[in-house]
Amino acid sequence: MTELQTASMAKPWEGLEGRDRHAACMIAAQAGDRSAFDVLVAELSPLVWHVARSNGLDRTSAEDVVQTVWLALLRHIDRLAEPRALAGWLITTTRREAQRVQIRGAGQVELSSEVAEQMPTSDPSPEHEVLRDERDRQLWAAFHKLTQRCQELLRLTVLAGRAEYRAVAEALHMPHGSIGPTRGRCLNNLRALYNGDSGS
Amino acid sequence: MRTHIPDDELMTQVARLVHELDPMPPGLVERAQFAVAIDDIDDIDLEVARWSDNRTLAGVRGGLPGTITFFVGDLTVMVNVTRTGERQRIDGWLVPAGAHGVEVRVADHGSSTTTADEGGRFVLTEVPRGTTQLLVRMHAEQSRTVVTPTVDL
Repeated sequence: MTELQTASMAKPWEGLEGRDRHAACMIAAQAGDRSAFDVLVAELSPLVWHVARSNGLDRTSAEDVVQTVWLALLRHIDRLAEPRALAGWLITTTRREAQRVQIRGAGQVELSSEVAEQMPTSDPSPEHEVLRDERDRQLWAAFHKLTQRCQELLRLTVLAGRAEYRAVAEALHMPHGSIGPTRGRCLNNLRALYNGDSGS
Repeated sequence: MRTHIPDDELMTQVARLVHELDPMPPGLVERAQFAVAIDDIDDIDLEVARWSDNRTLAGVRGGLPGTITFFVGDLTVMVNVTRTGERQRIDGWLVPAGAHGVEVRVADHGSSTTTADEGGRFVLTEVPRGTTQLLVRMHAEQSRTVVTPTVDL
């Protein structure tokens, strides 16, 4: 019904990219445009997914958290006064929700990658597939030994593209200038864990 | 002696592993879009329920019937799913009990609604299988509606 009416009109986010695009979607979604909300879900779910996965959730729980975060945004959409702060809100909400899930799942708080791999899930996790070679396996294992903050930063860097430090920094509430050095430290830690692993 | 991997190369490898080994599950975007496509949300106070952890143990995620529980605040909803041919029967129990409205939305199949009895029990039969979401419209507080993330039944 409304789809017919809105389809003929140019969407305010068309032609925009990145945060400008998502801010335009937020404003439209706040005005009741469901298709704008769908764009946000389509384009920012990877962000929510990787934050959830960085914060110790297995794939099944992470999927629930992705949906829960979007339902929470639906509920609070009018309370987000600054549309450009959406990515930061999503990250904060996802972390909080991930914590809640883990507190509830008592014995699973220390969710190592080994444990995660043994957890039953109907979603055939790509992690269960044989890794391409031994070096990949060791690097992936080393990656999961990093702090959650480092895993999160590296995953979001991968998502955002290398150049977009500013967006990642703002989303993580880090000063713009500190994200490069922090990322460097995370990579150093990863390198050490990887080499240590290989040597044993 | 292991060679020192430069940052750029290490980052490239991490990117490849993250993309290859831990992508979003297929269909997650569509399931999330379905989950938020709830009618008449303007005047309701939406609360997001959480599936309890035992659902994976119950095997429901694998498409097998079983009992799942979700909760939010003081409300707990237990749901038992039984296959009936191509469709299924959903027996539920709300605690605390009350004549609350219950809606089961199934992607591409519309929704089924019923009202729990005074003891908090409800039954829905001939429910299609698929990506499923439950909504509980609280009787006493008409604006309060509890929704769940989807589960594949």
